[in-house]
Amino acid sequence: MPPITADIAIIGAGVSGLASAYYLAKAGLDVVVVDKGLAGGEASGRNGGMIGERTDDPPVIPIAVESINLWKTLEQELGYPTEFTHQGRIQVAVTEEEMNDLFTERDVASRQGITMELIDPEHVQDLIPGISPRVLGGAFFPNGGHANPQRSVQAFAWAFQDLGGRLYQNTAVTGFKLGNGRVAAVETTAGDIAADMVISAAGPQTAILAEMVGVHVPVAPARVEILATAPIEPLFDIALVGNGLYGRQAVRGNLLFGGGPHEWADVDLTSDPNKTNTPLIINIGRRLAEILPAVADVPMLRTWAGIVEQAPDYIPIIDFLPDPSNYLVVTASAHGFGICPATGKAVSELILNGESSIDISAFTLSRFSDIKSDWRQQRGWVPAA
Amino acid sequence: MESRPLVVVGAGAAGTAAAIEAARAGAHVTLVDENPIPTSIVALNVPQLFGQRFSDELNDSQLMTDCVTASNQRLVEAEEAGVDIQLGTCVWGAFNNTETSRLLDGPQIGLSNYRRSWMVKFDRLIVATGTRDLSIGFSGWHLNGTIGANGVHSLITRYRALTARRMVIIGSGNLALNTAKMALDHGIDVPAIVEVSPTLQGDASLATDLQNRGTDIYTSHTISRAYGRDGEIESVTIVEIDDHARPITGTEKTITADTVCLAIGLTPNVELLSLLGCDLSFNADLGGHIPIHDDAMSTSIENVLVAGDAAGVHDAMALDPEIARNQGRIAGLTAAASLRTITDAEAESRISDIPTIPFAPSDTQNLRQKWFDSFANAGGHNIYVCPCEEVTRADIVGIHPPRYLEWRSNQMDGRSLQTQLQDNPVNPNQIKRLTRAGTGTCQGRHCREQVALLLAEESKTDVSQIPLSTYRPPVRPLPLSVLWPEDESEEIRNQWPKWFHPPGKVLG
Repeated sequence: MPPITADIAIIGAGVSGLASAYYLAKAGLDVVVVDKGLAGGEASGRNGGMIGERTDDPPVIPIAVESINLWKTLEQELGYPTEFTHQGRIQVAVTEEEMNDLFTERDVASRQGITMELIDPEHVQDLIPGISPRVLGGAFFPNGGHANPQRSVQAFAWAFQDLGGRLYQNTAVTGFKLGNGRVAAVETTAGDIAADMVISAAGPQTAILAEMVGVHVPVAPARVEILATAPIEPLFDIALVGNGLYGRQAVRGNLLFGGGPHEWADVDLTSDPNKTNTPLIINIGRRLAEILPAVADVPMLRTWAGIVEQAPDYIPIIDFLPDPSNYLVVTASAHGFGICPATGKAVSELILNGESSIDISAFTLSRFSDIKSDWRQQRGWVPAA
Repeated sequence: MESRPLVVVGAGAAGTAAAIEAARAGAHVTLVDENPIPTSIVALNVPQLFGQRFSDELNDSQLMTDCVTASNQRLVEAEEAGVDIQLGTCVWGAFNNTETSRLLDGPQIGLSNYRRSWMVKFDRLIVATGTRDLSIGFSGWHLNGTIGANGVHSLITRYRALTARRMVIIGSGNLALNTAKMALDHGIDVPAIVEVSPTLQGDASLATDLQNRGTDIYTSHTISRAYGRDGEIESVTIVEIDDHARPITGTEKTITADTVCLAIGLTPNVELLSLLGCDLSFNADLGGHIPIHDDAMSTSIENVLVAGDAAGVHDAMALDPEIARNQGRIAGLTAAASLRTITDAEAESRISDIPTIPFAPSDTQNLRQKWFDSFANAGGHNIYVCPCEEVTRADIVGIHPPRYLEWRSNQMDGRSLQTQLQDNPVNPNQIKRLTRAGTGTCQGRHCREQVALLLAEESKTDVSQIPLSTYRPPVRPLPLSVLWPEDESEEIRNQWPKWFHPPGKVLG
């Protein structure tokens, strides 16, 4: 079959890939997105929907700040709902150790110019009615919130299509045609895609794809779990982090909370990875009931799991490979959902202008130039035998 | 963690027979059954469509335990055979290692007595979880008083707590006729049985008995609407239909009734089998997605067996529990032989004495489709598919965002199931995420099959090709405080990581 031609070929219809596709198409480029499954079928549609400036990974703060600016008008821009809620994010401490962490985070926030307020337990109660009396205090970040991942990723997909973008779902990448230090074509189950530029936004598959063009990109996939309760009356609209969990009350009223131990996994390029739930879900449920005793008698309705990828330092990679030189790696180390609008903007600027107005200087590949190829084994970031 | 050699889930005909047979063959058997189920769960229409037609006696757990025990004479036999019987104990989850989950110490199930929960490892598991009511919504079915055949059976035979007074029955197969007989025997009026096809589906002599007791049977009819004030059904209108399942004007008839019983089919309960990774296949003659199993009732997962209606259900099973019972006996013997409490030869010899009862497949799928079409033809497309989340057929066809978002845009107006189908093959999980159909408190029990029928119709695909929407634990809507793991390990308690940080600090 004749090759599909485009300016840009994007591998992966998650939030990073589709946000990039949207902003590139908006700038007038002809973009094709391929995905082995459905748009947002993996972690992009399965995460907790948290949005905010996270002090635990300071290099991510600039892109997070720009993202929140974009989130504010995103649904009007795209024409589809995202359920973005901009009421802030709160991190609560239930131990003295966690209280000390909040003081440390206050210092980080202050250095980074982020608004954050340390608040006493009474004030936490005002913001999150029914929270445990064990809470010793909280860090309130007014510039934060949450959105519905499934709706948001679908919104990007549809808006991209509305601009004439082509989205090939259930289409797996099988190889690359290389020549003169460039990717000439991406080989897929729908045929070859010949494009000037290739963006790998393939999440857990990032490393396997890069391996196929001879480059080691250090990211490791892991499976994480999350739960949803039955809907209840509106209790709080702030994103909540505490007692080892993160989560929110969805607009519909369900409480969605995840966290806890993850399990390193391996994936491949074609199959739907098994996103299994384990008995861990009741440990998550217990922690939710501990931190929000007021909801202890609400039924757990369902759970799910997702596969995220992590770089060794837990921060994103947005960088071109040295060779092939028209291959851009975009991988978010599980920050992807919250920062997706600015990721898309940064990627489009990088391609159109050669540089981005957003500070992504920490997201280089070269920071891993000394990493050993067996880093996953050395760190234990591999699946159990 | 507790460990048990053989756990049988479900003390219906199949599960009880399996437990007795395996115990007599020397196996140490644990038989768990979720009944009696607390009112709080029954009120959510879980696991059957109970339609809020139950009395306050349901709150008396001792009385309910006595009723449940009395309703199953064979439990005495099971007890005598040494079976450890745990009533009022549901299985809310089943867990097994997969490619991405490798740290479990063997396959295990999560149980609960509705006050607390615990995990149990098993060497062998027999899943005899029966069926749930097949729900296909008609106009007004979201009102209190729409009940399923299993809901009626359960509330009459297990709980003696059915409060329906006058019941119109939808369907005329043996399931429906048997339900009508049971209702009449318990003093409930059954003014009408409504059948969408031109012919009676079930046993003719049973139908004649019902007619002699005053029940009218309306073939080539459907229900156009249930009416009521204060959320309770007070009457239903039925209408004659033509060959294309379209209502014939002027043939409407309104019948006073407080209850409408959907007795148009049953769906095998395969949640636990699906969670354990058993291969399933679609078989219209046997109720939908069923576990692939061999003649010895073993599934594709080595230590998991299936028996009774959960393995596949057909209408003859409604009248003859011997069919399910025989499957249970076979599963019990197979499990015992695999646990080496009897020899394979002995098991084979005993199995060969169990008669196999042949069944004639009926045209189940066409009939389901006809009901589905007739309800919309007579009642419109604003029928709820998912009453929990108030999602209608029209909402799914238009892939409307939920109403509470109050979202309108030209872009959204341009999207529909049809535009979605241009992009990718129909996928019920995606439809669930976009419309919320299936995310309610009944955990998708009463909309799964309708969504599949609707997607099949809209995509002009055979319903067998519609993928099964994913099952996830917990498969019962239990409170966080009930699922709460009391025996949480020190490791989980004290080494719980904060997201992926700090580096390297990871459990497992």
